[in-house]
Amino acid sequence: MSSSGAPSHKALSKIACKRLQKELVEWQMNPPTGFKHKVTDNLQRWIIEVIGAPGTLYANETYQLQVDFPEHYPMESPQVIFLLPAPLHPHIYSNGHICLDILYDSWSPAMTVSSICISILSMLSSSTEKQRPTDNDRYVQNCKNGRSPKETRWWFHDDKV
Amino acid sequence: MVVTGAASAMAAKQAERLKEDGNSCFKKERFGAAIDAYTEAITLSPKVPVYWTNRALCHMKRKDWTRVEEDCRKAVQLDHNSVKAHYMLGLALLQREDYADGVKALQRALDLGRGANPTGYMVEEIWEELAKAKYMEWELASARRSWELNSLKGTCEAALNQQRALDMSQTEESSEEAYTSHTEQLKALDRVFEKAAEDDKPTEVPDYLCCNITLEIFRDPVISPSGVTYERAAILEHINKVGKFDPITREKLDPSKLVPNLAIKEAVASYLEKHVWAYKVGS
Repeated sequence: MSSSGAPSHKALSKIACKRLQKELVEWQMNPPTGFKHKVTDNLQRWIIEVIGAPGTLYANETYQLQVDFPEHYPMESPQVIFLLPAPLHPHIYSNGHICLDILYDSWSPAMTVSSICISILSMLSSSTEKQRPTDNDRYVQNCKNGRSPKETRWWFHDDKV
Repeated sequence: MVVTGAASAMAAKQAERLKEDGNSCFKKERFGAAIDAYTEAITLSPKVPVYWTNRALCHMKRKDWTRVEEDCRKAVQLDHNSVKAHYMLGLALLQREDYADGVKALQRALDLGRGANPTGYMVEEIWEELAKAKYMEWELASARRSWELNSLKGTCEAALNQQRALDMSQTEESSEEAYTSHTEQLKALDRVFEKAAEDDKPTEVPDYLCCNITLEIFRDPVISPSGVTYERAAILEHINKVGKFDPITREKLDPSKLVPNLAIKEAVASYLEKHVWAYKVGS
C-alpha cells in the first residue's frame, strides 16, 4: 500500500526492544479504552484497531492504526498512520497521515503508544465535522513517492479543531 | 638520587608507551601481544592501576578468569575506587561461583560507577551482570523457601486435623461450634502462609520506582528542576538527541541542573532487597 510510507527498517536497538516489551506487557494488562492491539510477533510494527468513542461522529466506526518504531525509539517518535480507509477528519489526510504535533516536533520519550492512542482518540472525539484537511489534495500529491509523514514539515492545524 | 629520579621518570614514560602499544593490540584483538605489552609496562611501573585493569580485560577476553581475578585484586589495592577493577573482579568471582563476594564486588562497582562522569559510564553493563546474578540466586532460594513453606503448611494442617479428630472422640455430640472453629483455623493458616509467600511472588514494580523513559526500575536516578526523576543515562540521551527540555513538563532543562535523587536510590535498594525478583532483566 502506497500510503504506508517506507520507514527505514533498521532493527530496534537493545534499549528500544526492552522499552517496547515493557509497553506491550503494560498494554496487555491495561489497554487504553477503545483500542485493540492485533497481536503479531513483530515488535517493530504494531497494528492497532481504533473504535470511535460513543456519542461522537465516529461512534461504532472501526479504523486501523499502523505504528512503526525507529531504531532509537523512544528517543525518536514512532511513525503513526491510519491504514486506509482513514477516518474523515480535518487533521487526517486521505493517505492516512495524521497532523498531530506530538507525533513530530512535540514528541517526548516519556510518551508511550498508549498515550499516543489516547491523544488520537481525543482528536477524533472532539471533531465537529467529517471532512478532509483543506490542503488534502496538494499534500497527498506531494507524498506520492511514498514519503513518510515524519519527513513532512508540518505547520499544525489549530488545536481547537 | 637525581639519577634514579630521572631513571624512574623515564621508566614511567616507557611504560606509558607500552600501554599505548597494548591498547592498539587490544583493538586489533591481538590479546596475547597486548598482555605482553601490559606486562612489560607493569614491570617498569607496577603502581599504575590502569595497566592491571587493561591486562585483566585481555585475560577476560580469553576467559582466563583466575588471572582476571589476580590482576583486579592488585588494581583494587592500588585504587579502591576503580569501577573497572571491581566490575571485572565481580565477574571473575561469579565465574568460580563465589556468589556472595562476586555480588559484593559488582555492587561496589555500581556504587562507584554512578555519577556524572560521562566517560566510561558503564552503569547499565554492571547493572545487568549484577541483576543476572541476583535473579539466579533468588530463583534457587525462592524455590527452596516455597518448598519449605509448603511442607510446613502440610504439617500444620495435619496437626490441626489430628487435634480435631481427638476433640471429636472426646465429646459425644459433634458440636456445630467446634466444626466452625476448626474450619476458621484452617482458613487462618492459609492466610498466614499466603502472606509468608508474598515477597517471593513476582508482581509489578511500582511506577514511582521506574523511569518514565526506560519504564524500568531505577539504576542511577537523577531529579530534574521540575521535580521529575529519570534514569541518568536516558535523560542525558534525551537532552542530546531530542532537546533540552524536561520530557514530562516540557520545561527548559540543562544537563548541569540534574542532581542525583538519593531518596529514590535508597527506596529502590530497599525494594530490591525485599523483592529480589525485580532484578529480572527483560521479559
